[in-house]
Amino acid sequence: MILLATLISYPRAIILGLLQGVAELFPVSSLGHSVILPKLFGWDIHQNDKYFLTFLVATHLATAIVLLGFFWRDWVRILKGIGRSLRDREIRADDTDAKLGWLLIVGTIPAGILGLALEHKLRAVFASATSAAVFLTLNGLLLYGTERLRRRAPDTEGDDDTRIARKMSWRGAVLVGAAQALALIPGLSRSGATMGGGLLVGLSNKDAARFAFLLATPIIGAAAILKLPELFGPEGDGVRGPALVGALCSAVTAYLAVRFLMRFFETKTLTPFAIYCFFAGLAATVYLVA
Amino acid sequence: MRNTKLLVAAAVVIGVALVVIGIVYLAEPAKSLPSFFPGHEAGSAHHHVKHGIASFFVGLAAFAFAWFQTGPKNKTA
Repeated sequence: MILLATLISYPRAIILGLLQGVAELFPVSSLGHSVILPKLFGWDIHQNDKYFLTFLVATHLATAIVLLGFFWRDWVRILKGIGRSLRDREIRADDTDAKLGWLLIVGTIPAGILGLALEHKLRAVFASATSAAVFLTLNGLLLYGTERLRRRAPDTEGDDDTRIARKMSWRGAVLVGAAQALALIPGLSRSGATMGGGLLVGLSNKDAARFAFLLATPIIGAAAILKLPELFGPEGDGVRGPALVGALCSAVTAYLAVRFLMRFFETKTLTPFAIYCFFAGLAATVYLVA
Repeated sequence: MRNTKLLVAAAVVIGVALVVIGIVYLAEPAKSLPSFFPGHEAGSAHHHVKHGIASFFVGLAAFAFAWFQTGPKNKTA
């Protein structure tokens, strides 16, 4: 246990927590960064180690709580909308909250199924820092590609949720949800995939980011809650303290990140993140291979 | 109309099957799962809780689909 405690020391927990909160929501792959950076720093941490997964559970749960809190009023409206639609047995065209709620449910189903089916296989195959660096480069190309391929000037009429409900089809929600499974490969970003998917179905950057964050909340939260017993069980011994510190750091940066991104995407695009991922991934690949 | 009825019946059947499968996953360890179930593993006492929850919720989604398809709007259409 002493050995485990030294593997994630408190300073490392703080760095990894701060990084996790930012990278989970920025479209730059948190998993990729948490695989590549320990390797670059020479830390003896591997993404498939039990204690590291337990640490990640805590930071993911913190991120999910922050997202839930940030969009709390929206979630209340959305849940009321779902309730209304179930009562009336129809999703009325003018009921934006109900449509958005069901779009989120429809998008979450493929993400959940693909996550269950592929999580262990993909993480086992792409566990190395080098493959994460290569996929980070690819993530940059994907982000740039989606910006280039977006169909037309985004719709700016009405409020955010009305635009999302109007633009996003059921099939689009399935595809965007399924795209989240790309994040199972370290180096590819969940929020990048969902934002990119949103752009391709005609959303603005801001609406795509909003939909991506709403879609991410139940998946990140559920995955963390299901693994919570590991944190409080024997597997959490020796890592519980650093995990709590990491989670607090992650919560702070996640809050700042979501606040920043919602303003950033009002006027800006995914291109800066694409450039960062491409060059950071390329540099890390060269460094790790050499 | 006939197609809708068939779709609703299929959704209900699938929903019931998935909810039952979800309960089996939650109740039985991997060694006791039917061999054609994903996650079956001889000798393993591990419970596939996530499989169970996923199956249960997709079953509920199938029921929700049937519920909307038989709503007032679809009946008058």
